[in-house]
Amino acid sequence: MTDGYGPADVDLDRVWTGVAAQVWLRRPGRIERLAARLLRSPGLARALVITPSLLIGWVIATAVVLLAGMAATLGTHTPYVALFDPAVAAAGIAYAYGPGIDRAWELSQSMAVSDRMVLLARALAVFGLNAVFGLLASAASGAAVAVTFGWLVPMTAVCALALAAATLARSANVGVAAGISGWVITVLAGKAIAGPVTAAVASPSLVLPYLLFTACCGALVLYTTRIPRGTE
Amino acid sequence: MDDDKLICAIAAGDDTALRELFGRHAPWLAIRLRSLLPASDTEDVLQETFLAVWQGAGGYRPGSAGGWLWGIARRQAALFLRRRGPATLELPGLAAISDPDGDPAEAALAGVVMARAAAALGPDGSPEREVWRLVYLEDRPVAEAAELLGVPVGTVKSRAHRVRRRLRAALHMDSATEGGAS
Amino acid sequence: MNVELEELVRRFGRTQAVAGVSLRAGPGVFGLLGPNGAGKTSLLRMMATVLPPTSGRLELLSRDPGNLGERREIRRRLGYLPQNLGYYPGFTVVDFIEYFALLKDMPPRQVPRAVAAAVERVGLGDKARSKLKTLSGGMLRRVGIAQAIVNDPELLLLDEPTAGLDPEQRVAFRTLLREIGERGTVVVSTHLVEDVGAACTEVALMDGGRIVFHGTPDQLTARGEGTGAAGDAPLERGYSAVLAAARS
Repeated sequence: MTDGYGPADVDLDRVWTGVAAQVWLRRPGRIERLAARLLRSPGLARALVITPSLLIGWVIATAVVLLAGMAATLGTHTPYVALFDPAVAAAGIAYAYGPGIDRAWELSQSMAVSDRMVLLARALAVFGLNAVFGLLASAASGAAVAVTFGWLVPMTAVCALALAAATLARSANVGVAAGISGWVITVLAGKAIAGPVTAAVASPSLVLPYLLFTACCGALVLYTTRIPRGTE
Repeated sequence: MDDDKLICAIAAGDDTALRELFGRHAPWLAIRLRSLLPASDTEDVLQETFLAVWQGAGGYRPGSAGGWLWGIARRQAALFLRRRGPATLELPGLAAISDPDGDPAEAALAGVVMARAAAALGPDGSPEREVWRLVYLEDRPVAEAAELLGVPVGTVKSRAHRVRRRLRAALHMDSATEGGAS
Repeated sequence: MNVELEELVRRFGRTQAVAGVSLRAGPGVFGLLGPNGAGKTSLLRMMATVLPPTSGRLELLSRDPGNLGERREIRRRLGYLPQNLGYYPGFTVVDFIEYFALLKDMPPRQVPRAVAAAVERVGLGDKARSKLKTLSGGMLRRVGIAQAIVNDPELLLLDEPTAGLDPEQRVAFRTLLREIGERGTVVVSTHLVEDVGAACTEVALMDGGRIVFHGTPDQLTARGEGTGAAGDAPLERGYSAVLAAARS
């Protein structure tokens, strides 16, 4: 690497490596360091922190949809945020699944920090972010409290459905399709049966069925993402 | 690209320019440092030098890149020795070197005496302590000590003179106390 | 022995991509040759713990990849370059390598130096902070090699690593393989028979999911002598001769 030689017992390549190590690489940010400590895995923390850059399209879409929902709600008093957010969240979570956003998917599957851990952590992060933004948007648009919190449960169910579909079909797009169509059907069915378009979101009697459904989908995800031992 | 332009690029954050500069200048800097320091220390100091170049390239005024680089290397070497210096000096050990078959108690006493005498030269890091350490403890030629401290040879000689004077005074006082306490 | 395979089978539906492969490999550079569809990639995927075997015994670095904890231990000491790597366009070279170094559970303190060393080793020192989308195909391949070697692996698996590399880079790459092969096991799957001859200490030829030849490059060359088999170079002739014999 150098023009000419230094002293025989001085390893100039090693010296350059030491310099390059500090010049080329930045120290991780505070959030990442905190996540690394909480999760006890610097690799998992890094995987989480890069998710927005991988999902940038989804992040923008979410912002647009939520803002539009907010504006629509202010105009018409129908809580559009509560209606849109679960679909958007489901899409985000489905895309968090491997081939969807991870172009280096096959390589990721050979990593010590397993792709299943990364998937679950990312899904939780996407869900959490969506929940927070949705709550803020919903509150800002003046929707009723019951509706604002009410949709968190169906949102969980829809996300679980999307993730289960994605992992079963090994395709993020299938997951998105399943999540969105599942949610649309639920909302329309709720409207047809009970009247208001928010029936699917605001009825307390639906909480238990939603949670059971979530649990089933969750179990399915855990099953499909395990690597089977030996013979199959 | 000539050296001036390279350093300018480094100041603007171009790491490939730093790599190029390293390639050109690390060998001769390493040779020069190696004449003053052991191999592993040379590696450490050279690394610190180029990191300092990365951070301080903005302060370079076009002219002699070689001189500027050597100035940084020399400063880093002095800093490195100062950081590491006190830990590697074992004063009782020095006394034992002068008389390996002697009485260990004598050696220990000599060590304490030396420590007190060294303290009389001034606080750790002061010019006299530095000269004493380089010239008397590490037994370097005056020219080398001048190089490392970045001062003219004449300054090192006059400081060495002061060191001898103060040591004599300190040791003389000690022997006077010892003799009087028996 | 770093790799031990016994009657390894991998089925997809009704086809057997790997139809009973037995192999043992210690330190050194091991070449895997064969036509398209011979099962090389599936075999490599099983060794990379990305694909579980349908049946048979697989032991990597003296550990069982079917066991979750041991699989993680294997992966920490593994380097893998898939045929189609994929990359994150917005990442820089060092970002990409650092990310996978962390995912291999490398202690964060060691990571910066290891990444810098890997970058220099593949000759990308002047592209360290360039974004991946600005790099050529050959450079991207070298980034892939760098992430595979960053954790100083005991088992290095490379699927078509020299795609896009010019001859000078291939020479440097073969030197790299030999260095790693001194301590660990390198398995290189490649179409390029000359690469194999120059760098590998052992060669296996796969066809139709089975191993039809296993020996040294010289032995493979010898198989081609006097047979009139197709090929411009001795190793190629050996390759053709073995394939012809296996299929007849």
